[in-house]
Amino acid sequence: MNNYTLISIIICYLGVLFFIAFLAEKNSKSKWVNNSIVYSLSLAVYCSAWTYYGSVGIAANSGVSFLPIYLGPVIAAPIWIVVLRKIMRISKQHKISSLADFVSLRYGNNRFLGALITVVCVFGIVPYISLQLKAISETFEIMTDETSYVSKYIFDDSTFYIAVLLALFAAFFGTQSTDASDKHRGIVVTVAFESILKLVFFLIIGVYVTFFIFNGTSDIYNKMSMTPNFENLTKIDGLEAGFDWFFMMMISFIAVFLLPRQFQVSVLENNREKHLKQAIWMFPLYLLLFNVFVIFIAWAGKLTFGNEVNGEYFTLLLPLQHNNIFLALLVFLGGFSAVISMVVVSTLALSTMVSNNLIIPYGFLDKFIKGQPDKNSIYIKNIRRISIFCIIITAYIFYINFSIELSLYSIGLISFVIISQLAPSFFIGLFWNRGSSKAAIIGIIAGSFITFYTLVLPFTIEAFTGITDFTNHGLFNISVLKPYALFGIDFLSPPAHAFFWSMSLNVACYLVFSLSSKGNYRERNYAEMFVDSRNFSSLQDSALVWKGEAYVSDIKNVLNKFLGEERAQRALSLFFVKYKIPPNTQMADARLINFSEKLLTGSIGSASAKILIASAVKEEQISLVEVLKILEESKETIANNKLLLEKSEELSILALKLKKANEELIDKDKQKDEFLDTVAHELKTPITGIRASTELLIDEDDMPSEIKTEFLNNMLNDSDRLTRLINNILDFEKLAKGKHDLNIRQNSIKTTINYAIASVQQLAINKGVSIINDNLIDFRFSYDEDRIVQVLTNLLSNALKFTESGKGKITIEYKMINNMFEVYVIDNGKGISDEDFEHIFNKFYQSKNQNTIKPQGSGLGLAICKQIIEQHNGKIWAKKGNKNGATFVFKLPFN
Amino acid sequence: MKKRHEQKLVVLSLILFLLLNVPFILIFNISGQVFGIPTFYFSLFSIWLLSVIISFIVLRRHYE
Repeated sequence: MNNYTLISIIICYLGVLFFIAFLAEKNSKSKWVNNSIVYSLSLAVYCSAWTYYGSVGIAANSGVSFLPIYLGPVIAAPIWIVVLRKIMRISKQHKISSLADFVSLRYGNNRFLGALITVVCVFGIVPYISLQLKAISETFEIMTDETSYVSKYIFDDSTFYIAVLLALFAAFFGTQSTDASDKHRGIVVTVAFESILKLVFFLIIGVYVTFFIFNGTSDIYNKMSMTPNFENLTKIDGLEAGFDWFFMMMISFIAVFLLPRQFQVSVLENNREKHLKQAIWMFPLYLLLFNVFVIFIAWAGKLTFGNEVNGEYFTLLLPLQHNNIFLALLVFLGGFSAVISMVVVSTLALSTMVSNNLIIPYGFLDKFIKGQPDKNSIYIKNIRRISIFCIIITAYIFYINFSIELSLYSIGLISFVIISQLAPSFFIGLFWNRGSSKAAIIGIIAGSFITFYTLVLPFTIEAFTGITDFTNHGLFNISVLKPYALFGIDFLSPPAHAFFWSMSLNVACYLVFSLSSKGNYRERNYAEMFVDSRNFSSLQDSALVWKGEAYVSDIKNVLNKFLGEERAQRALSLFFVKYKIPPNTQMADARLINFSEKLLTGSIGSASAKILIASAVKEEQISLVEVLKILEESKETIANNKLLLEKSEELSILALKLKKANEELIDKDKQKDEFLDTVAHELKTPITGIRASTELLIDEDDMPSEIKTEFLNNMLNDSDRLTRLINNILDFEKLAKGKHDLNIRQNSIKTTINYAIASVQQLAINKGVSIINDNLIDFRFSYDEDRIVQVLTNLLSNALKFTESGKGKITIEYKMINNMFEVYVIDNGKGISDEDFEHIFNKFYQSKNQNTIKPQGSGLGLAICKQIIEQHNGKIWAKKGNKNGATFVFKLPFN
Repeated sequence: MKKRHEQKLVVLSLILFLLLNVPFILIFNISGQVFGIPTFYFSLFSIWLLSVIISFIVLRRHYE
């Protein structure tokens, strides 16, 4: 492929990435940018060119040992729910902006520790970045077929320009805000996008090689199994190699937490904890997909090319061999994506560390105190931008002078081992409150020294001079000091060996020095905050114990320098409102100190923040015991407050319940009064009639006999009415107490309905209301016929009561649903008002609409119906939705 | 997520750590192939996939 074509493709691709980053930055609140899939994919920045090309090389040449690099993260992913979540919470609470910030804050804002971690990270990561540049340069050469061409000058080398473009990208999207703890959505989204590309392209080439060039997996396996040494490629070579395997896994386990780029995407760029829900299973799945085809590509390459070419580039060489330029281009772009995301995120993370933990605290603080807010902010951004360029250029220089001869795998592993030195102070410090800064510093230095001696030094000497004396005979020819076989442990691979020795010494130093000396009070204060983060997050700003003299105005001056007057004022007023402190307070307390330190941390790092604030205040020394006592007390106060709050909530719920019960009682009482009134009225009417007739009969002796008979008949009717009423009340009482036994038999529902209709037919005819019952099918089942007739009669007479005379129409329907027999009584009367629906079946209830007219009936009818139906284990209700009247339904079990 | 369910994931991680290391890993360290995939790789990939499925199920049920 032509040189210029490829360059223009690269430029176009970079343009697309700029565009995506720009869009994401612009819509940084949108759900397309902030979701768990983007988060999970951004974690895949773990898969750099090393994964993309290096794994294949290892699989082809030395077999299974490429796998532990991915198995470590697979083991780590499930415990993210505990560990990573804790780290996220602490980071959010303290506005952490880098790994160095995190660790140094844990050890009481220790400035030296922060700087040390930064240096370790730079030494670990810069060669790693150069390895990525090497991958670009070499794949570029393969693509353009310019193996003979060697660039003589830097400015002649396309890799240099690509490196500069990447630095531009990182500088542009990485330093939009002075506060480094702000999210960089643009970068994260491009990383996620690239993660998709690299996986898809890798899978495409995997399928192409396995199923198109060869005839599937079995074909490759069978052909490969003919080659010598095949066994070694498919198995762990004995127990000693097993140790190697174990140490590699430990290294990658640590790396997935502590590589600056991983810390950046997994902790600092995370904006919602719940993204973990997807990430914990998606990330291992992503890694699995990436590894499935590795061996087949490796073997296919080996079968095609033998040992002639570098196994790392089989992915590219295989499609080129078959003249499939397009596929090769895809592979190239996939690898390119892997490189870009790794380089950009790593330099971003490193530049924040370099500026916030190295340059600013060790040189620029005085300048900032004198400077203007706007200038300070520009200074800070510029320091980061320059750091980004320096890091990438250093990596480029390293690549030119150094890594041309070395494989992707070996440099990658050296980086991992160097970064692992941070693990003891990071992990143990997270769960053990006695770990001290002194111990952390000693541990890291000791571990790094061992790594340097056992890994970096021999490696460098061999790469530069080609002389292997040092490796083979040890320092001063002392054989116990052989760098790859310290004290005779010679069965491990160099990285595993270096990891084993450095980590043992590191952990030992950390533990011993932590226990042998007591940390200072401030250190212990932060230790408690980190270890017991769940409890301390509720304490918020009062979690820091501080004693001394400080003026609000002094602190405000410091804040002004970095945030600008307006933002500082806004932040302070928020603070005053939050803690209900009068805004004209003169003296600052511990909370304000803590709050201001946090505000500054994002911009200039935690160590510098501490120094700056300390310069503005007069702090008194307090003893460790005092600190712990105060912390304990404030924790108790919080706990007590929480308890009180819970109690008062309980009480208010109880009060609400009581109130409701009381209201119900009052309502019932009122209903009962109304009912008694109605009953008295109903009882009084017939009695008045009887009394009047009796009086007349007594007074008028010469009454004609027909009139006398009429009077007597009236009396009889009234007595009947009286009896009915009293029976009703007695009936209801019986039913309500459940005393009434049902007389259940097999009955025909059709007959029952006819009975009920017959008993109200005369009334209906008198009122001109038609009762329609055109059900054809008869059902026979068990119920108490008299009682059901009573229910039906009641419903029918209710319907009669509320329909207009002359126009009224009452329909009876029934049907079987789910082994229940449902009967509908539908009328076209005035219907049921919404407020009545709930209460209509309550005893004593009379519709409020009846206030205008004389109450009709005793208010017991429907209540009796309900009792009867419920005794049958059925249900009765008024159906909503009938606009032209009322619908009553009851259902009975069909058996 | 309740502590008990969090601990399920921690235990999963522990089991993976044991299973994917010596000496347990040597159980799968045999020659042969399944669908053209060497047995060693095939077993590792299966454990890997299984762990993904288990964490997916635990998280889907219990993460709130």
